[in-house]
Amino acid sequence: MSWMHRHLLDVDALSRPEMELLLDQAVHMEDLLDRPIKKVPALRGKLVVNLFFEPSTRTRVSFELAEKFLGADVVNWAASGSSTSKGETLRDTAWTLEAMGADAVVVRHGMPGVPWYLREKLRKASVFNAGDGAHAHPTQALLDVYTVWKHCNRSLDGLRVAIVGDVLHSRVVRSDVQAFRLLGAEVVLAGPRTLMPLETDALGAVYEPDPVKAVEGADAVYLLRIQKERALEGLYPTDDEYHRRWGADEELMARAKKGAFVMHPGPINRGVEIASAVADGPNSLILDQVRSGVAVRMALLYLCMGGMEA
Amino acid sequence: MTWQEKARVQTAQEMDRSLRRMAHEIVERNKGLDGVVLVGIQRRGVPLAERIAKLLEKFEGMLPPQGKLDITLYRDDLSLRYPQPLLRGTDVPFDLSGRKVVLVDDVLYTGRTVRAALDALMDLGRPASVQLAVLVDRGHRELPIHADYVGKNLPTSHAEVVEVRVAEIDGADEIWICEKVEEQA
Amino acid sequence: MSTERMERCCGGEVPLLLKGGRIFDGERFLDGVTDVLLEDGRVRALGKDLPSPEGAKELQLAGLLVCPGFIDLHGHFRDPGQTWCEDLVSGSLAAAAGGYAVAVAMPNTLPPLDNDALVRDVIERGRRAGGARILPAGCVSKERKGEEMAELAAMADAGAVFFTDDGAPVLRARLLRNALLYTKDLGVRVLEHPEEKDLTKSAQVTEGRCSALSGMRGFPISAEVLGVLRALVLARETNCAVHLTHVSTAAALEAIRAAKADGVEVTCDVTPHHLVLSEEDVLRSNLHAAFKVNPPLRSTADRDALWRGIADGTVDAIATDHAPWHEDEKDLPFQEANFGIASYECAVGAVLDYRRNAEPEVPLERLLALWTSRPGALLPQSAAFPGRLAEGLPAHVTVVDPESAFRVDPALWRSKARITPYKGRHFTGRPVLTVVAGKIVFSALEGGAVRV
Repeated sequence: MSWMHRHLLDVDALSRPEMELLLDQAVHMEDLLDRPIKKVPALRGKLVVNLFFEPSTRTRVSFELAEKFLGADVVNWAASGSSTSKGETLRDTAWTLEAMGADAVVVRHGMPGVPWYLREKLRKASVFNAGDGAHAHPTQALLDVYTVWKHCNRSLDGLRVAIVGDVLHSRVVRSDVQAFRLLGAEVVLAGPRTLMPLETDALGAVYEPDPVKAVEGADAVYLLRIQKERALEGLYPTDDEYHRRWGADEELMARAKKGAFVMHPGPINRGVEIASAVADGPNSLILDQVRSGVAVRMALLYLCMGGMEA
Repeated sequence: MTWQEKARVQTAQEMDRSLRRMAHEIVERNKGLDGVVLVGIQRRGVPLAERIAKLLEKFEGMLPPQGKLDITLYRDDLSLRYPQPLLRGTDVPFDLSGRKVVLVDDVLYTGRTVRAALDALMDLGRPASVQLAVLVDRGHRELPIHADYVGKNLPTSHAEVVEVRVAEIDGADEIWICEKVEEQA
Repeated sequence: MSTERMERCCGGEVPLLLKGGRIFDGERFLDGVTDVLLEDGRVRALGKDLPSPEGAKELQLAGLLVCPGFIDLHGHFRDPGQTWCEDLVSGSLAAAAGGYAVAVAMPNTLPPLDNDALVRDVIERGRRAGGARILPAGCVSKERKGEEMAELAAMADAGAVFFTDDGAPVLRARLLRNALLYTKDLGVRVLEHPEEKDLTKSAQVTEGRCSALSGMRGFPISAEVLGVLRALVLARETNCAVHLTHVSTAAALEAIRAAKADGVEVTCDVTPHHLVLSEEDVLRSNLHAAFKVNPPLRSTADRDALWRGIADGTVDAIATDHAPWHEDEKDLPFQEANFGIASYECAVGAVLDYRRNAEPEVPLERLLALWTSRPGALLPQSAAFPGRLAEGLPAHVTVVDPESAFRVDPALWRSKARITPYKGRHFTGRPVLTVVAGKIVFSALEGGAVRV
């Protein structure tokens, strides 16, 4: 089996064997992270532009490390929110990137669909979606499944994953549901109804209104970040009430399988969606996720850019 | 385009004989096995290194440490290959500093793989010396690289390829020269 | 009248004999009639083997459908104000090429069409455009702000054929109520864009699968239903007629169906894109802005319900809501792009093509009536577009080739729009000849007879 993709826009572009190939390559990349000299010349001479229309330090730094460890030349381009507000359309930005000779563009944008738009406009460069609106965040999903996969003997078949929190505004959850399901895991969603899309079924996961039932028997509990302004929008009353009902504390985690993993895309709101005792507890994979992120992104960049252009 | 077998160069028995001779030469050159480690280049260099190690154990009574080296990320022809080669992993579970490293590969051709292997090796540590053992040297070097231990020197043309088969991967030990066949439309 | 004089001097006086076609009179196909003679801007005769008058142009139309000139109740010409997107000339030619003899222009221009002078200007310039006739709708409110009533009677006298604040609903219920009452005796209907704005703030796509999977805010179904119910309740109470445009949901259509049964004088139109496309197309396009439109593309169940509404007669017209934009407004990420689908030059084909496999089965004459007699009945009589073919009526004709296959290529459009969700699609069935007041304004017939 070989890798045929030049871009990664969302998880649904990948078949299960392709996903498993990528995870396997990520294992080798993670080995590199333990070495004193982490840099290899695989992408020497390739220009990667990290085009971030909204700040996301974690994702940007993770991509940047992956790019640098693979020997690529890296440019960080922080663009302001809406492209039109800054007087340049995204079309012109795309053509500018092309003229600069970018071999890859890693794009983060507040609006869904932007990575697809860029792929349509760019003739040469690979496009990687680093999060578009509340739509997709495929590399986060890949690193999430990778983290569990390596801890579970490289198999997610039959696992139960509970994702708890603000599903409505999450860019992580759609891609994560796809990725976990692709590898054979079952996903349960939980959170206040005001933070759920009306049609949760469309996401391919079951909605369980009772957080205790959602977590029951789960092999992994994944907490989504609560943005505090959602309370101001009237979607839930207070952080306190949210924490009492939906937050992952030791009591809620006791309902999951013994030793169930705790995961979070970061940055975490201690005392809101997760209690410190859980975030820092022995089953927390939160920091492992960060490390996995670099390895998975290295594998992705290598697979999409390492070979000759088709 | 496919490759067709043209001539068998070595049988299993002949191959074993070559490896034995190479093992003896390694002992001779290094005056024993003190500080000697074997590093096989993925993929067929790895089982070959293991075999040489076992032979060395037989001859000298000690098994030298063995490692695996994946040179994929160091290749200079990555952007010319489609699809790109996949990683098989580097596993060198010992410190290279001060060691006499014997790199093992199946075929020495342009020398570019060995160049990449040297870079990969240097990123792992600072060996005292690096020697090169190959089962077949088929000539046509593009870089100033030579092998210290050679199983068989084999003059070839660019249109040919040398296929070393090992039981661990290919089910049998043998060496073949193959040539390109243009497929009929 | 001055207009008739102008048409004569523009060549309207050459009689046109359309021979050998299948004649649709606006309601049904006529038995034993194959020929139509157009003379002096009127239908002179309908019959079989009509003799060709001296100097007449004769067109052989065997296998083709000869219909009353198609009527489009809803289009945006962006003129005045945004003429880089479209103008009266490009829009008129585009509509004609799409088979429309007349197109109603929405008043959400810059400035909004809220007075009789602007109404006259659009009618005059539209007449000279050379394609489909353009008849403007006037704003219900001054400056289309939804607050104060515009000079509706003056605009009616000037030739406005509807009143609407389209682009948006009439903001205040009180104003809508007064507008219904005030226009009742003007012979000009209120055309309402049903949407409860409080529920659609920053909405991008339909609520449901599309909003769930795209992560964008959804237009709830309830927003359209509330808009429809408000209009229905007011129309019932005031005993006035109201027209609801671009109805897109099963629930809204059901409310209209019930009101009709209850005797409310309500009519409605649906758009080709809501009949042919759905939220699944938005998702499949990876959120391409060409699919961004208000009301949004809905579920496949809603789409199917619109076809049922056509089959049972609830739907009164198919109106394009042709909404052209320049690439600068449309070649953008979904959320940044303007709402609107440009479709004049392929809308009829899209619907005809979809009908072939639509559930339930819709007889061709029922569909053709939605482009002819039924919208014709909603225009003021003075507009002289009855949507019918009969002796003595104005000579507006659209000829449809039901078997002609084509690929949508916006690069070839007369419209200035280049972005459309139909790009590259293949459709079978399309208009091949458009005649307005006896004059050919569009023809895809070669040598007067050969199919393209």
